[in-house]
Amino acid sequence: MTDTIVVGAGLAGLAAAIRLAQGGHKVSLLTFGLGGLPLGQGSIDLLGYTHPAGSSHPTADDQAVADPWAALPGFIAAHPGHPYALLGTDTIKASLAWLAELLPDWLLPSDGVNHLVPTALGAMRPTLLIQPTMSWPSDAKSVAVIGFQQLKDFFPELMAKNLTQTAQVSAKGYLLDLPARDQEVDSSALRYANAADHPDFVSRLAAMIKATIEPADLIVLPAMLGLASLDPWRSLESTLGTRIVEAHLAPPSVPGLRLNQALTRLAQASGVRLIIGSKVIGYEGEGDCLRGVTLHQAGRDQFYGADQFVYAGGSFESGSLTVDSHGLVHESLFHLPLVGLGGDRPLIDGDYWSDQAIFKVGVATNAQLAPINPDGQIVWSNLRVVGGLLPAAVRWTEKSGDGIAVSSAFAAATDLLNQTSPKKDN
Amino acid sequence: MFEAASYESNLLARASLDSCVKCTICETQCPVMAVTPLFSGPKYVGPQAERYRSGLTVDHSLDYCSSCGTCSLVCPQGVEIAELNSVARAAMKKGHTPLRDQLVSRTSLLGQMMKPVAPLANAVLANRPSRWLIEKTIGIHRNAAMPTAQRHSFSDWWRHHRPSKAPTRGKVVYFHGCAGQYFEVETSIKTVEVLEFIGYEVVCPDQGCCGLPLQSNGLFDTARKYVRRLAEQLNVEVEVPIIASASSCVTMLKHEAHDIMGVDDPTVLQAGQRIREVSEFLLSLADAGTLPGDLAPIHQTVAYHAPCQLKGQGMGKPALALLSLIPQLTVIDAEATCCGIAGTYGVKKEKYAIGQAVGRELFEAVERINPQLAVCDTETCRWQIAAATGATVVHPISLLHQAWGLDQD
Repeated sequence: MTDTIVVGAGLAGLAAAIRLAQGGHKVSLLTFGLGGLPLGQGSIDLLGYTHPAGSSHPTADDQAVADPWAALPGFIAAHPGHPYALLGTDTIKASLAWLAELLPDWLLPSDGVNHLVPTALGAMRPTLLIQPTMSWPSDAKSVAVIGFQQLKDFFPELMAKNLTQTAQVSAKGYLLDLPARDQEVDSSALRYANAADHPDFVSRLAAMIKATIEPADLIVLPAMLGLASLDPWRSLESTLGTRIVEAHLAPPSVPGLRLNQALTRLAQASGVRLIIGSKVIGYEGEGDCLRGVTLHQAGRDQFYGADQFVYAGGSFESGSLTVDSHGLVHESLFHLPLVGLGGDRPLIDGDYWSDQAIFKVGVATNAQLAPINPDGQIVWSNLRVVGGLLPAAVRWTEKSGDGIAVSSAFAAATDLLNQTSPKKDN
Repeated sequence: MFEAASYESNLLARASLDSCVKCTICETQCPVMAVTPLFSGPKYVGPQAERYRSGLTVDHSLDYCSSCGTCSLVCPQGVEIAELNSVARAAMKKGHTPLRDQLVSRTSLLGQMMKPVAPLANAVLANRPSRWLIEKTIGIHRNAAMPTAQRHSFSDWWRHHRPSKAPTRGKVVYFHGCAGQYFEVETSIKTVEVLEFIGYEVVCPDQGCCGLPLQSNGLFDTARKYVRRLAEQLNVEVEVPIIASASSCVTMLKHEAHDIMGVDDPTVLQAGQRIREVSEFLLSLADAGTLPGDLAPIHQTVAYHAPCQLKGQGMGKPALALLSLIPQLTVIDAEATCCGIAGTYGVKKEKYAIGQAVGRELFEAVERINPQLAVCDTETCRWQIAAATGATVVHPISLLHQAWGLDQD
């Protein structure tokens, strides 16, 4: 049995751990706290926006990508250091199909084009793999946007006004007086999702909607129609006889929590040992072979040895990349060589809206995602770097973060499985 | 010497509050906030309220925090939320801790009092009118799970115990905890028998309480004395590991004495480095290939619940991997955050209903998976699950004891 350690439990870490465990590896997933999925939108982005020729950063002229597979070759040609250029379209395509098959209850099979899903502000956001509750019917002409007085992260009238422009519909906002639970005047979407998991709440909601709104082709509700399952959404649709779309809110994100819960359960069901709550603070290795990592556990530091490693620690947001008081950028665990530092622009400039050069800093890897030094030599041959640590992508303006996470994790896991197969067991 | 009420005793935890990015992950996992609006949640009560505390109490909903520690465990930014809240609650309650909290946090005392009159004590605790009276006078909920008093303590057994075979591996120090001394005697005995069966010489010094229930009830001064005394008592055979079947008490020694109560005695820290929860220890042997493999099959499917205090040690759920070594045994992780007892929280009359609501999903999982038998590492959680479901709830060591054929001895 090959021992593999995955560091990080965001989308990339969970995907890598599941694929490795399903391929027969004995996987330990080490994570300091939960990964970022509960903070995300709960759909899977591949490529949402491209910039007009000559512009490397977002502008008002940015184009929402309708067909990401058609746009990808041009995008790769224009971004030679980008993770997508390293991985190639075939791998990216296979990885997203694999993910959709992993989560049949939560993600619709892709029809190859981007969906436009509504944000809480009424922007229509391009994304590739959506949950069943996010499918916007193109023939909807009139929309009822419904919120709750006790859910202060969602303003139906604001969203409705914006939808008239962004989605070309007539839209009206409604505010229902329906607490998630007795007497609570300020609840999160999660508390509403917990309530909606009980059929009596859905019945009360249906009755209140029927009594309140004018007829519409489509109802938009904040994303709260079930955490345990999507049955509350299905039941509300059938009771009302109207299609319902969920709009995702600021965290806590119910659709993000659904994916996190589903992937974490899959990992555990695949035999992954999930070790949460301790930070990886060191490593040991010889030559180009990493031997293990040190986990800062309660009471003492504990060494975890393994044959192979996947590093999915995320970027600046999770502390895997840090900036010191001299403005120098570091990868904080393995001290891996970085790229994107040596440009003629300062890493951080004074223009808030510009694409700061620092966001393209990341770990230098070869095509197999093994870390390399500036000479192109492999630093650790049994380590793969995936997800937000990879350089040259501005994930939030490109809307490429999920696609990078899934495709790099898939490629790394596939490569590591191939290296050890057929393997000598024990 | 630190004062219990002084928030300065927690400067390190306070320093971590600036790392809070308000991401709400702690709120999504808090088991108390999920079932009651009475607790405003770890983010508000923790890093947000802490900014306004200068030894003062700014949010009394803090009392509804169960100290399960889930918030600290799931925080991706390293904010010591539960630690901050435990210190703040101790400050809030200092000087007016109810008699009830003083009583339920002294497990050893209860055990000592109940042992000589075990049948009577058990009858009183099983009697509805007397439980009603206890609820009205002391404030322990009439339906709360209570331990079963035993006529013989673990020490009574240990005094006459002779190992059945000569050691082949060296020594370990055994820490049984107070529940293991007076109430869960069988678990303690089985742990010793398993350790001896796999070749260890077990050393068991006289030992007292770790102070965890006192700490969670805000009685820091006494808790500090207890944990220091325990560390001294366990400070024998200093080169060998301390093995414990009381998984929550392990947490006290590993980090809570230091991280919540500011105890930095070298003896306590050293005991914290040496101590291993027994499943953690056995799994490390299994991973190293030095655990006997001749486990007999157990044809059962059981739910497993990892106690909060065990998860708080940041080592995953060792019992899950360990029990997977027993042929034919299917262990299903109930995936519950908390059973709702949280030490002594769930026995208090004003919190009993919250504790039951917190544990509901776990109880349903036990009833669904196997209503006769479930597995959990901590004593108070086992009592809670057993009382709610009627299932027999055992420590993981019981199943290993059985699979190694030691039950017949």
